[in-house]
Amino acid sequence: MQSPVSHKILGQQFWLTIDRTMFWEEEKALVVSDLHFGKTGHFRKSGIAVPASLYKEDLQRLIVQIQYFQPRELIIVGDMFHSSANKELELFLRWRSDLSGIGIRLVRGNHDILREDWYASAGIQLSQQTLSRQQFHFVHDITDQLAKRNGFIKYEKGVKAYFFSGHIHPGIRIDGTGRQSLYFPCFYFGKKYAVLPAFSRFTGTAAIYPESEDQVFAIVNQELIQLQ
Amino acid sequence: MLLKQSKGYQVIISWFESRGLRPFEFQEQTWMHIIQCDSGLVNAPTGCGKTFSVFLGALIDFINEYPLDYQKKSRNHLRLLWITPLRALAKDIGRAMKEVIEELGMQWQVGIRNGDTEINERQKQNRQMPEVLIITPESLHLLLAQKNYPEIFKWVKILAVDEWHELLGSKRGVQVELAVSRIANILETDAPYQFSLWGISATIGNLEQARDVLVAPIMNKIKKPTVIVRAKIDKRIEIESVIPDEIEKYPWAGHLGLKLIHKVIPIIQKSRTTLIFINTRGMSERWYQEILNVAPELAGAVALHHGSIDLELRQWVEEALHKGILKAVVCTASLDLGVDFRPVETVIQVGSPKGVARFLQRAGRSGHQPGELSKIFFLPTHSLELVEAAALKTAMKQNFIESREPMILCFDVLIQYLGTLAIGEGFYPDPIFNEIASTWCFREIKKEEWQQVLHFITEGGEALQQYDEYRKIEIINGLYKINSRRIAMRHRLHIGTIVSDSMMKVKFLSGGYVGVIEEYFISRLNPGDVFTLAGRTLEFIMIKDMTAIVKKSTAKKSIVPSWNGGRMPLSANLGLMLRKKFNEVHHLLENNPRQREDIDLELQVLKPLFELQDSLSHIPKENELLIEQIETGDGFHLFVYPFEGRLVHEAMAALLAFRISRIIPISFSFAMNDYGFELLSDQPVPVDDSNVYELFSEEGLSADIQRSVNSAEMARRKFRDVAVIGGLIFQGYPGEYKKTRHLQSSAGLLFNVFSEYDPHNLLLRQAYHEVMEQQMEEVRLRNMLERISRSEIILRFPERLTPFCFPLKVDSMREDLSSEKLEDRVKKMQQQLSRDLEKKRVK
Repeated sequence: MQSPVSHKILGQQFWLTIDRTMFWEEEKALVVSDLHFGKTGHFRKSGIAVPASLYKEDLQRLIVQIQYFQPRELIIVGDMFHSSANKELELFLRWRSDLSGIGIRLVRGNHDILREDWYASAGIQLSQQTLSRQQFHFVHDITDQLAKRNGFIKYEKGVKAYFFSGHIHPGIRIDGTGRQSLYFPCFYFGKKYAVLPAFSRFTGTAAIYPESEDQVFAIVNQELIQLQ
Repeated sequence: MLLKQSKGYQVIISWFESRGLRPFEFQEQTWMHIIQCDSGLVNAPTGCGKTFSVFLGALIDFINEYPLDYQKKSRNHLRLLWITPLRALAKDIGRAMKEVIEELGMQWQVGIRNGDTEINERQKQNRQMPEVLIITPESLHLLLAQKNYPEIFKWVKILAVDEWHELLGSKRGVQVELAVSRIANILETDAPYQFSLWGISATIGNLEQARDVLVAPIMNKIKKPTVIVRAKIDKRIEIESVIPDEIEKYPWAGHLGLKLIHKVIPIIQKSRTTLIFINTRGMSERWYQEILNVAPELAGAVALHHGSIDLELRQWVEEALHKGILKAVVCTASLDLGVDFRPVETVIQVGSPKGVARFLQRAGRSGHQPGELSKIFFLPTHSLELVEAAALKTAMKQNFIESREPMILCFDVLIQYLGTLAIGEGFYPDPIFNEIASTWCFREIKKEEWQQVLHFITEGGEALQQYDEYRKIEIINGLYKINSRRIAMRHRLHIGTIVSDSMMKVKFLSGGYVGVIEEYFISRLNPGDVFTLAGRTLEFIMIKDMTAIVKKSTAKKSIVPSWNGGRMPLSANLGLMLRKKFNEVHHLLENNPRQREDIDLELQVLKPLFELQDSLSHIPKENELLIEQIETGDGFHLFVYPFEGRLVHEAMAALLAFRISRIIPISFSFAMNDYGFELLSDQPVPVDDSNVYELFSEEGLSADIQRSVNSAEMARRKFRDVAVIGGLIFQGYPGEYKKTRHLQSSAGLLFNVFSEYDPHNLLLRQAYHEVMEQQMEEVRLRNMLERISRSEIILRFPERLTPFCFPLKVDSMREDLSSEKLEDRVKKMQQQLSRDLEKKRVK
């Protein structure tokens, strides 16, 4: 597997992985987005037979990432769970109790509709809108922030802020000559905010159209490729 | 019983006489077979009384059963089940049937059941089934999802499948096969076996097979041969080509036929009503605009009709066609089928009709009464297409009409059908397996495959044991049943096999509905872009609530949407006829005066073009394959002309590119149209007399195809239909979008998920199978290679582009073949892009 790719923001060290996670070295935090746990179960309960092994592998991939980086905490920028509670979440709870040493911070996403006491009992600390660490802020849907006038948190002069978000499941299209066109999920880093790829393999993507000064890392099979 | 002595026959004959008519021979033949309880196929063109062949047979049969009180007897249960593919036809057929019943003073009821039937009408039918029920395949399956459905069907004496040639070869045809297999078996257990099954079909190449497919489920019961009744009715069709004034100046390609528009206006003006058939929706938009530009006086008397136009507007156009208030309608395949428009006197076909059957069908849209002349003009979109007109004429003379291949092992339709049965009465697997295996579609189903299907619908395939809650079909004491009301309701909403592209409504900012358009087209537009829809020039503003908001635009230039559907390849029959026509071209060039008289006008007109082709290169005879190698500024071109249709050429191009790249490392881009294909490379292509037969050999075909074609990408596109039919994609309740949001997923995503986590899934395998069968037309590809192995391959090295290769260079679709790793391709494309950027900066 490709080793993590270094990416620096406001002097801090971040590591991007092909498994759609981001490790923040200074804070020892593993940041992921859009896990959609329980999605296969939700579909199956409704008679749509998607293979459930996908969910198991999603969990295993996350464990591998945790074992690799040994983070202090897991920051999830929303959509940790796909829908209402189902049996698949019991598998998550069992997994959670094995890793009780790690704090889990969840910024509530539009899919996170479980009862608040459920999160508490699963050892997940819930933030309704924003979670902040130093000058970095974690939100679920960045467009909510953009829509609000002066939505970005203000600092005293000279202090910059940066946002991490999910929700969009960003994808990037690359066009070549002769009408060639390829499409991949990606990490997106703009001037003021980043959009992380969806962690779950049971997620689609929405195309983003970056500006030339933005940075984009495409997830191509087993390799992260910086496109710009 | 002798037909002519029967009471029923006498009643019907006197009805004919009272109207001053006599039955056609084929009608009487059908009646005779019906009273003998035979089954089979009636072959008759539309508009020639085919409805009355089977329908009056059913009446005769009933009158013979109740000779004394046939006029009084009512509430006779469902006796005649009439399956029709088109909702629009149901009303007309029903009306005609009711008229006869009334005039005979009988009490029979005629019911219609399809998506348009009101709920109270349906309930009325459920309480008391009419004697005749006209139904679509989808609604028939919905009936099978009802409790007590055996009660409805067990009295059926005659099951008729109208327009069987339209259903055969599609998944709707498979639905009919499955429904027949069920109904035929209800009869056996509950009533004495007196059942006849009739298909009604226009002429196709494989009529016998069409009959065999239909009657397959009853063959082991009836124990006597089935029949085909052929109507001997000659339909006179006149074909005239629209010929450019100076063939030397007529463009070789690239103008959609619009250069000939000035010749179309007088044709429109001379006829009462003209239908102008255009192959694609995009082109039809252009033609509609151009007609109005050239002949503004026709404004208001010309209309546009295609699948993306608002339904109400389309219905208005159809109504106006009936009334005869339109001079012309520019249309696509959207007007191929359906009720007859009497005022239509003339049809114009723009560009290749791609097949003999389709051309005849379109021609038949004019002069739509028995005995009347059908007049069709053929307008070429490039010079060589005139050869097609000549080929069509000959094919028509020889009645050389395409076959419809029945579909095999459609597991998606089977999975849906089992769900349907599980909602209604539930089913026991063993008897249902026997029924299914009696159909043509599933006669080769293996026991393991059946087990897999059962496993899929009950266990949901791959599961996480104790954490699983899969719920669809449950097994209770051996009975397979759906008990959840929500799941049952969702299943009912999804019964059917017609999967449309996801469409988006287009509305004006000020309100007002324009039509619908494929979502993927809109997704590529930026605000401010101007496009054409329904003959209007529109500026895209934004997407809101799943609707594209637009305003009128006066911009001169606009993007014409390219729609996905409807790009049919040239049929094998027409391709063969085309190759034969080139034999005649040789007579033409030899200036043999005796044979010249027999040569089609279209070929004679093209003489200068053929002379040029002949002097630069060669004109291939029927038993020859022409290959041209030309060097231009773009690189080294290899043109091959098998005349086998675009899809076969696409597969062949990939195959040839792959085989050449085994000789030396080389990369190609390739292009194809219905006549041939092109390989383009930046280095000379090593094809010569020493290796050319080997390159076209049949040997190792399957393996080479697997390696040369990106079948995963093709299967991904096919998978959408399969997944929707097989119940993996839930499209939401009507008007209840939000509640099911958490169940939304795209076919592309599911394709990835299954490929990675459940690669042996039946539906996934079916998508690949459909790619090979339909997309690649593997059988046709094999036949082509076999033909080439018996042909002479002619290699030529022309100095410059030839008339043959020109349309390929200009109008074709382009693809590329790459054996490089995906990661490398991305990097290469990036480098290319940055080089382009640098170039721009330098400038």
